[in-house]
Amino acid sequence: MANAPALTAETIVAISPGAMLRRRIFGHYGLLFGLSVLALVVAAAVFAPLLADHNPYTQDLFARMKPPFWMAGWDPDHLLGTDQLGRDYLARLLYGARISLLIGIVTALISGMIGTALGVAAGYFGGKVDLVVTFLINVRLAMPVVLVALAIVALFGGSLQIVILVLGFLLWDRFAVVMRSSVMQIRGLEYVNAARAIGCSTTRIVLSEIMPNVVNNLIVVMTLEMAHAILLEAALSFLGLGVQPPTPSWGLMISEGKEMMLFQPWLITIPGVALFLLVLAINLLGDGLRDVTAPEAKG
Amino acid sequence: MLAFALKRLGLAVLVTFTVSVISFSLLHLSGDPAAAIAGENATAADIAAINRQFGFDRPLTVQYTDWLWKALHGDFGESYYFKMPVADLISDRLSITMLLGVCSISFALLTAVPLGVAAAVRPNSLIDRTALFLSVAGQAMPSFWFGLIMIVVFSIKFRLLPPSGSETWRHFIMPTVVLGYYAMPAIMRLTRAGMLEVLNADYIRTARAKGAGAGRVLFKHALRNAIVPVVSLSAVQMGFMLGGSIVVEAIFALHGAGYLAWESISRHDLPTVQALILIFSCFYILFTLLSDLANAWLDPRIRVG
Amino acid sequence: MKPFLATGVIALTTALSCGQVFANKSDDTLHTAFSKELESVDFYFQSAREGTIFARQVWDGLVYRDQTTGDYVGNLASSWKWVDETTLEFKLREGVKFHNGEEFDADDVVFTVNYVVNPDNHVTVPGNVNWMKGAEKVDKYTVRITTNGPFPAALEYLSGLVAIYPNDYYAEVGPSGMALKPVGTGPYRVESVEPGKHFVLKKFDGYYGGPKGQPSIGTIDIRTIPDINTQLAELFSGGIDMIWNVPADQAEQLAAMDQFTVANESTMRIGYITMDAAGRGGEGPFAKKEVRQAIGYAIDRQAIVENLLKGSSKVVNSACFPSQFGCEQDVETYSYDPAKAKALLAEAGYPDGLTVDFYAYRNRPYAEAMMAYLADVGIKANLNYLKYSALRDMQKKGSAGFGFLTWGSNSINDVSAITSQFFKFGDQDFARDEEVKTWLDTGDKSVDDKVRKENYSKALKKIAEEAYWIPLFSYNSNYVFSKDVAFTPTPDEIVRFFDMSWK
Repeated sequence: MANAPALTAETIVAISPGAMLRRRIFGHYGLLFGLSVLALVVAAAVFAPLLADHNPYTQDLFARMKPPFWMAGWDPDHLLGTDQLGRDYLARLLYGARISLLIGIVTALISGMIGTALGVAAGYFGGKVDLVVTFLINVRLAMPVVLVALAIVALFGGSLQIVILVLGFLLWDRFAVVMRSSVMQIRGLEYVNAARAIGCSTTRIVLSEIMPNVVNNLIVVMTLEMAHAILLEAALSFLGLGVQPPTPSWGLMISEGKEMMLFQPWLITIPGVALFLLVLAINLLGDGLRDVTAPEAKG
Repeated sequence: MLAFALKRLGLAVLVTFTVSVISFSLLHLSGDPAAAIAGENATAADIAAINRQFGFDRPLTVQYTDWLWKALHGDFGESYYFKMPVADLISDRLSITMLLGVCSISFALLTAVPLGVAAAVRPNSLIDRTALFLSVAGQAMPSFWFGLIMIVVFSIKFRLLPPSGSETWRHFIMPTVVLGYYAMPAIMRLTRAGMLEVLNADYIRTARAKGAGAGRVLFKHALRNAIVPVVSLSAVQMGFMLGGSIVVEAIFALHGAGYLAWESISRHDLPTVQALILIFSCFYILFTLLSDLANAWLDPRIRVG
Repeated sequence: MKPFLATGVIALTTALSCGQVFANKSDDTLHTAFSKELESVDFYFQSAREGTIFARQVWDGLVYRDQTTGDYVGNLASSWKWVDETTLEFKLREGVKFHNGEEFDADDVVFTVNYVVNPDNHVTVPGNVNWMKGAEKVDKYTVRITTNGPFPAALEYLSGLVAIYPNDYYAEVGPSGMALKPVGTGPYRVESVEPGKHFVLKKFDGYYGGPKGQPSIGTIDIRTIPDINTQLAELFSGGIDMIWNVPADQAEQLAAMDQFTVANESTMRIGYITMDAAGRGGEGPFAKKEVRQAIGYAIDRQAIVENLLKGSSKVVNSACFPSQFGCEQDVETYSYDPAKAKALLAEAGYPDGLTVDFYAYRNRPYAEAMMAYLADVGIKANLNYLKYSALRDMQKKGSAGFGFLTWGSNSINDVSAITSQFFKFGDQDFARDEEVKTWLDTGDKSVDDKVRKENYSKALKKIAEEAYWIPLFSYNSNYVFSKDVAFTPTPDEIVRFFDMSWK
């Protein structure tokens, strides 16, 4: 198990200088693509009320499953058609972006705080603290995430808050692993020793000397975990044990659309593609950021 | 070596123990198991009697030690829903999940390693870019959606593969691809990174300079060294996959342990859920332990580290 | 862990060595699917429709209701008579054998009845059998069943809910053995059971015939496939030959494709909204009659029926299925009127609406449609979508008092099959109305049809007037099957494989 965190960290940060350069070039395209798609999704989420002229919760049982604009018989009033209860699919998709982004961001913040605190403590203090944190990471990694999250949601009810909390408390492992190794690398460096020598407090050293130097890695992990959280929420909601209807979660939309997927495949294609693109964009952004900002890349 | 092995084993046991404590207390925070067992029209007296019979009136710590003691002997209690021993229920279904896991990791290795090697040998070529694209797409693809699309395409459109069940090897093709694809990106990236590093290392240059053939350099020297971390990553991925097979099993109605876990969770069948969490954790711990030991045996530096 | 690995390897080799299983006529095997993991195939220790369907193929009752005429005919019994108000005497059919060769006689009936009525044995749905006090043997082929007080619906219950087990075998193996290796007298014997997953039935060559008639199809292969879309995918790819409970949308599309036979049949199942009027889960808004009535006015049941259920479904207003004996139709109705709902809520002290937990276990789109209607009048319902068993467990504890549930009355055409379950202080009774219970008790115990009707009418009128329940609609079921299969569905939601044949 000792090697599991190391490996995870390695796949994120350690890349040889030669590869780095090439990745950097490729990464720039990826970075650009990721940034633009993400910006689009964020804009869609923020301006959802302006972009959608329907309420995502308003049903019309007499206008169910209208096809989207590229199919015959579409209704100009519903660009992406309507779902099984006659709710506007475009409105649900736009408002769904809010759910996904909210889940991604808040989860990444919660797990980021937990993981960073543990990782920095382990990396800075080493010794027994490191032993305890490493042990906690091992315990966390040994718990099957999907299974545990499903069980907790089933027992405590599936609200947005619960899903966010559960994911936040489960997805901190990568933060801890990466922060631990990053801090270990710089803990013995001269300027940290100097700060210690002139009597700076631990808090001050960590905040002003250590954190600024590991924040790049932190941001990279944060993007990756955001993507991870968004996918997990969609999977939980798809299995019926995540966010509950009528919330327009993309995972839930796929789950509701799958009953009709053999006849109206667009019901699962539209939210599926949206989910794929968002996660792809965030991952590309994360990869791109790492390529551009990783210390090796600067050398 | 022995000291290292014992230390790792001790850690594994301790982790297992902690996981079991956490999952046990999480699941017992909610619900009243006695009422669930008592059945319809149960009176307060019935429920009290069941509380005594099953020992739900004892302190949680006592219940836990009792449960753990029995679990260590392979007795996970009786399923609330099926009214049969959880161990019997699980053993039958676990073989399907294991089979799926083995197939998927093999699929992932067989596709990811060659791709990773090819990508490293010709960096920035078409194949490198394709490999990179496949891995980035793989990380972003929601596996439940991918599964549904595969059913539409391969079962309905082309009628090539059966959409559900586990009777024949053909039933395992789609689940294997979906679950394997999930593990592929990490393996491919690691293979590529490892190969690049090794190919640039001095001894490879020396081997090349000595006139060793390209293929020989690639496979005898480079791959052998680059593959070590890949093997341990695969072990870790295998552990993750068993836990992650829930979604895939649900989509393809594969009646494996993951599917049973999902159904049991929504039925509030706690003894079954409890046992499954423990078993999935144990698998992960076992795989990582084995890979650690294998690595230590291959690379003596780890033993002291 | 080693044995598991070994099984995995064995499973792999066997999986690789056999080819694809082809469904259909050519190998005389009908492949079909259950949508629920059945907890047990022992009829008395489960409560699912699938369990009833399974039981009909494998076991027989004393009497049988002819689906076309509606008359009761002898099945394992050849004749019967009421000795007095509480004693029924049966002459049993001779020469009947169980699947394991055991001979059928009075001992089997006596054993089965006395076993299931014994409260210590904890059958899953006591209401199905606890109207009987017990059974006694008169001679080898004569048996008497005594009831707890007069019970006019006895034959109806006996025809559907009392399967006769082999006494020697059951005494030896018990419910857990029966769940793995079921033995009955029915037209099909059980070839294999993989609990919750897969069941294979074979034509029983020694079947005596009787009103069910000899089965025609040789093998019935049932797999559990929970998702309707997976069932449909299997149907399209030829993996299964028949499915039922297909939602209206999909059935319409399938009918248009003309690739399968699509048959629609009404069922006795009704959907309803239950509300915690009695405050079993603590004092809540539903203790107020106005709130309960507001729920009734808020939901456009007609629109849900027309657009979601379709087929032969109808809006129901009384807390029973209209064809059931004693199902009074002249009751207070709550037609769609959101303004009135809002006014009632304001009157009850909720002018700004309220937030409540809402429970459901099937037809999530229907539940969502209702939630949207409730939201329109200011009631925010948080959905808790559970498996039926989990929901029932909560109701036993008095929670989950507000929800959308359904009841199929076990296809018993008598109002007691639904009112007894919900308004006689059982675990699903959230009304707890003494007066209603008294009327229902009087109705259940009387043998005079007029007295029964009168009392049920009073009870049902009060239930509607107080809005303890909002009855919603009757269900219909779509059966979709291969064009090779000859089958006529019946309104009792029971699929009779022994009535099917290949075309």
